[in-house]
Amino acid sequence: MKVKGNMAYKPQYGPGTSKVAENRRKQMNPNQKLKKMRDVTDEDVVLILGHRAPGAAYPTAHPPLAEQQEPDCPIRKIVTPTEGAKAGDRVRYIQFTDSMFFAPCHPYQRTYTECYRFRGIDPGTLSGRQIVECRERDLEKYSKELINTELLDPARTGIRGATVHGHSLRLAENGMMFDMLQRSVLGEDGVVRYIKNQIGEPLDRAVDIGKPMDEEWLKANTTIFHSLGDSAYRDDKEYIEYVQRIHTLRTKYGFLPKE
Amino acid sequence: MTDAIYPQVRIVSTRFLKPETAEQLLNRLIQVGGIRRMSINGPNLPATVPYGPARGQPNPHPDRKVIRVGDQDVQLQVQVGTIILELEDDSYIPGIEEAVDEVFADKGFSCTVQQGRYMKTKPTVSDYARYGPDADEKILGLVDPGKKGGPTIIQGTR
Repeated sequence: MKVKGNMAYKPQYGPGTSKVAENRRKQMNPNQKLKKMRDVTDEDVVLILGHRAPGAAYPTAHPPLAEQQEPDCPIRKIVTPTEGAKAGDRVRYIQFTDSMFFAPCHPYQRTYTECYRFRGIDPGTLSGRQIVECRERDLEKYSKELINTELLDPARTGIRGATVHGHSLRLAENGMMFDMLQRSVLGEDGVVRYIKNQIGEPLDRAVDIGKPMDEEWLKANTTIFHSLGDSAYRDDKEYIEYVQRIHTLRTKYGFLPKE
Repeated sequence: MTDAIYPQVRIVSTRFLKPETAEQLLNRLIQVGGIRRMSINGPNLPATVPYGPARGQPNPHPDRKVIRVGDQDVQLQVQVGTIILELEDDSYIPGIEEAVDEVFADKGFSCTVQQGRYMKTKPTVSDYARYGPDADEKILGLVDPGKKGGPTIIQGTR
């Protein structure tokens, strides 16, 4: 999805002068191509998601749009359906947990990023996890992008459909985020492999998602403020000013001020 | 329950411990001696998937292991993050600190020993309501007394 060239204003994506703010803007801006970090195949993505067997046909929720009568609706004429919607796919999900220890992305950031970059999605943002729902065919395409790019670190990001606990806990001795179900394992060779799908069912074969990034890269690319380890939120004056302005305006609006 | 006269320490590492490291640390602590009670805390590692679509399926976890502490086998049910000790008196604390420093010298992350009050000294009304009048006071406030399998007793030299 591209931002239209003829827009009346240039989107700013977010305030802030810090490195963290810069990383946030970079991820949100759909004109900025996300750096490709690893090569997880389509089949691997299907295995991790666990919604259907690799190679199986997409189960459908309704007949393809071309085969059914569409009501006369002006909105349907404006909006082009996505591939998944066109085929009548089921709505399925992928859910991420991001460690507070400098994960490259975090729930709110993921939602903003996805809304700017993808179409036909329904993200759900929670403190420790972020879920995105969409048509299965689209989901696999988007998931592949979310996994293969700099939005994911094999050790500090977890693909977890259920039992997500771990984002605010200490890391394990080997640097992996705590996972009750141990879906991904750091091998002797330093490569992280998914041995269970996102809901914790064992996979027939391990899915290789590459080596964890080093601490230096994580700190340079994180979108999380962390006063103890890296850039502190309060050091970014512009960010604070912006958030305080919104907070003040919202509070005042609660009292319905008369201009 | 405990008498308030016994000092307590809490050992907190900056990372969760592997079973091997936990085993090494616990065995080193036992050598120091003077430990009345010990509790190992951390996030639970359930034997079966607790919720979600895969609920009830077995959950093989490499860190849910049996470790050997002293002369006893201990089934780890958590990822070890914190160890709480109740000591016989203050004189054992320097020894504990030394033991911790020794174990974590080459681990690449730190571990602190804190002093304070980490175990309950009196049962609360909630404890009474939850576990009844006959709950085992030795473990009340440390673990769920209703849980099957009592405490592991590691014999000292005395």
